[in-house]
Amino acid sequence: MRKWTASLLLLSAICLARGAWAGINLVTLPDRDSVQLTIYNSADLTLVREVRKLTLQKGLNKLSFGWANTLIDPTSLRLRAVDRPDAVDLIDVSYPPRINSEAVWTVRSKIEGEVLVEIMFFTSGISWRAFYMATLSQDEKDMLLEGYVRVSNNSGEDYANAQTRLIVGTINLLDRIAELARRREPWGRPDMYQVPLAAPMAMRAMAKTEEMEFGVAFDAVGAMAPKEIIKEGLSEYFLYTIEGTETIPDKWSKRLPSFTPVRVPVVNLYRYDEERYGPQVIRLLYFKNDKKHKLGDTPLPDGQFKVYRSVDKEQHVSYEGQSFSKYIPVEQEAELNLGTARGVRVEPKLMKTQTLNYLFNNKKNIAGYDEKQEWKVEVENYRDVPIRVEVFRPLRHQFVDEIKYAGDYGKYDRQDIMRLRFVLEIPPNTKKAFTYEVVYREGERRDVQ
Amino acid sequence: MNLNISKCLLISLLLAGLSAEARIKLVALPDRAATVIRLDNPAATVVEEERVLTLQKGVNQVDFSWKGVFIDEDSIRLSVLDPADKVVLLNVSYPPGEGALVWQLTAKEACNARVRITYLLSNIDRLVTYTGTAEQDESKLLLESFLVLRNFSGEDFEKARVLLDYGEAFEQSIRHEEARQMLFFSQGGVPIEKTFKWDAREKPWDPSRLDANVGIPVYYAIANRKEGGLGNNALWDGKVRVFQKDGRGSTIFLGEDTPGFVPVGEKMEIRIGESRDVVVTQHKRYDRQINVRRNNGGNIVLFDNEEQIETVIENFRDKPAVLVLTQYIPGEWSMRQNSHPYELKNHDTLEFRLQLKPKEKLTLKMDYVRQNIRP
Repeated sequence: MRKWTASLLLLSAICLARGAWAGINLVTLPDRDSVQLTIYNSADLTLVREVRKLTLQKGLNKLSFGWANTLIDPTSLRLRAVDRPDAVDLIDVSYPPRINSEAVWTVRSKIEGEVLVEIMFFTSGISWRAFYMATLSQDEKDMLLEGYVRVSNNSGEDYANAQTRLIVGTINLLDRIAELARRREPWGRPDMYQVPLAAPMAMRAMAKTEEMEFGVAFDAVGAMAPKEIIKEGLSEYFLYTIEGTETIPDKWSKRLPSFTPVRVPVVNLYRYDEERYGPQVIRLLYFKNDKKHKLGDTPLPDGQFKVYRSVDKEQHVSYEGQSFSKYIPVEQEAELNLGTARGVRVEPKLMKTQTLNYLFNNKKNIAGYDEKQEWKVEVENYRDVPIRVEVFRPLRHQFVDEIKYAGDYGKYDRQDIMRLRFVLEIPPNTKKAFTYEVVYREGERRDVQ
Repeated sequence: MNLNISKCLLISLLLAGLSAEARIKLVALPDRAATVIRLDNPAATVVEEERVLTLQKGVNQVDFSWKGVFIDEDSIRLSVLDPADKVVLLNVSYPPGEGALVWQLTAKEACNARVRITYLLSNIDRLVTYTGTAEQDESKLLLESFLVLRNFSGEDFEKARVLLDYGEAFEQSIRHEEARQMLFFSQGGVPIEKTFKWDAREKPWDPSRLDANVGIPVYYAIANRKEGGLGNNALWDGKVRVFQKDGRGSTIFLGEDTPGFVPVGEKMEIRIGESRDVVVTQHKRYDRQINVRRNNGGNIVLFDNEEQIETVIENFRDKPAVLVLTQYIPGEWSMRQNSHPYELKNHDTLEFRLQLKPKEKLTLKMDYVRQNIRP
């Protein structure tokens, strides 16, 4: 944090006596004792909290804080005395005119000497994301799941020895921190058009992030074991605290394992749902974030899953596809959509259509009738592993008699008034077929009980 | 008054007709005795300044001009405070092409007259912001309110008395283009009411069929009442940033909102974020016409419609939750059966307040008939 480290100045109390805006005397440049980063993934926001030791004089003191060329939200600046809150009062914070990126705190101290203060603010430009690697076993009954987080620093600052915490969750944010950081006047102007400053260099260079190889960016040189990530729930969010401290230079990223690799039982699920995917079979990997699936300690943050499959005993793998997964709460079912399936065929066919039970009105015109449709659905598994297939069938409308079904339909349920679902378990290289019959009531036939 | 600022006041026995430059060059600035900035109306700021004018017997011209200062010229008024009975304001005139006016005063005798000049000044205002720090168990929070004075009026104010809607006036200096933030009040132990809100018109009915995450808005409500440590005054509208203690001496940021003006007795509702650990899935189980009535031509003229809505609520959290679920039934209707009680908010809006246990899966059903529907 080289830029604003250099700009935190303790100003002498003497200057107050010479008038509020008289020349400023530099007294000391305090070092930062510790820094903590709490990084959000749902928004470009990081909560920075740092502790510094200041030498205060008894009476009024002025502290200047500058943030030129950074992405700090000046309206988020807070200062408080950590160890002597009773002895140090914050009077106000001023954003002086015609001086960009600077705030001056006025502090009244009842004591003279060293005081620990905490400075807190939001910054933009630091982000993190989760991603996963899954390797299916040869029989596809389970997958080895590895989870990672990747932290990227594009803030324009080097962060050395920072305690790093990651937040999983969606916060309500009214303004983008990067825009607040670029305001010419920190609090805006009353009823006047805002003239944004040019984006700082840190933003322009945002795309150019280099990724450090795993382990290289660790500050603990020669660390022998991956760092542990402590996970806990707070309000509606999950907080991941990375063990120890991290050094993340500007424009660098770091990858950290988010949990110990685990072998998760999976179901090969194939789905046919024309309304959602069109006339094609989609391959999904189904599992649940629970103890039975060797998971269930914490939610899984949303992220990309890259799925491979072991193809031989020499640990060669084939690439099966990738899927972006939504956030998976504890005990919720999860599906990884691997795209169009090649080894499974689902073919619904309309085998017969018939109209009957005509009603006529007084003028002998048709007032109502029934339309009976007989459908046959063939499901074929060309693969050498057992699979589960879900077949969704839409209804034209809700005015139907009870559905009749026959054959190898597996489990049937009516999802809602417009949709049927059949779930079939299909052994390797096997074909199954089932039929269902729908009678649609049209016109006045809908009124006949 | 700082000489660099561009508003000046001078007194002369000369008649109007001098150029603007000439007036500005004449330096006869009486000291500003007291300045009050009144920020109680967000639409405009009133500035009152007192001056002592040295008047000669007879007619005096008091010239008041400004440049680069956002004064509403129709709002400027001069009141003679002392001696009010010996000084009379005769008229006000506006010189052409500049920001200025000339008061013509008549004094019965030479005197030092104390006057108050009042005007509306633009681009000076106040913002209110709040910081809430919730306890780790989310039962209570520390509410801190900050006042931010913003001055872009073109005028520097030194040691002005600032008046707000309520509370004591305070002395504050603020320069042109300066913003100044200060603590307004701080109240700990304010009880929090946390709710999750799901609205049938806003949220997808079957989130499992969407590729994107669907979150349920989460709110903190705090009552502006004496019982909770507040309730002395209305809470002005302003941005609220909410943090939560993490139990290790630090906090996390939960979210922010601008909840609007909160009168005494009302609740401030703050939307902090979204939960993805409470999932609501809703389906219509049936929807059919009954009591169909026809005219002589056999056409349907009136019917009722019976419908059933089934809502499954899953709380994947290991804590209880209060879910406020809003349903809508348009038109004329009657409820046949409902699995849970509701409050009728208006003719078509029903609000269910559901207490969810940790890890609970709850099914809510509504069987109702929409009546007398015309095709």
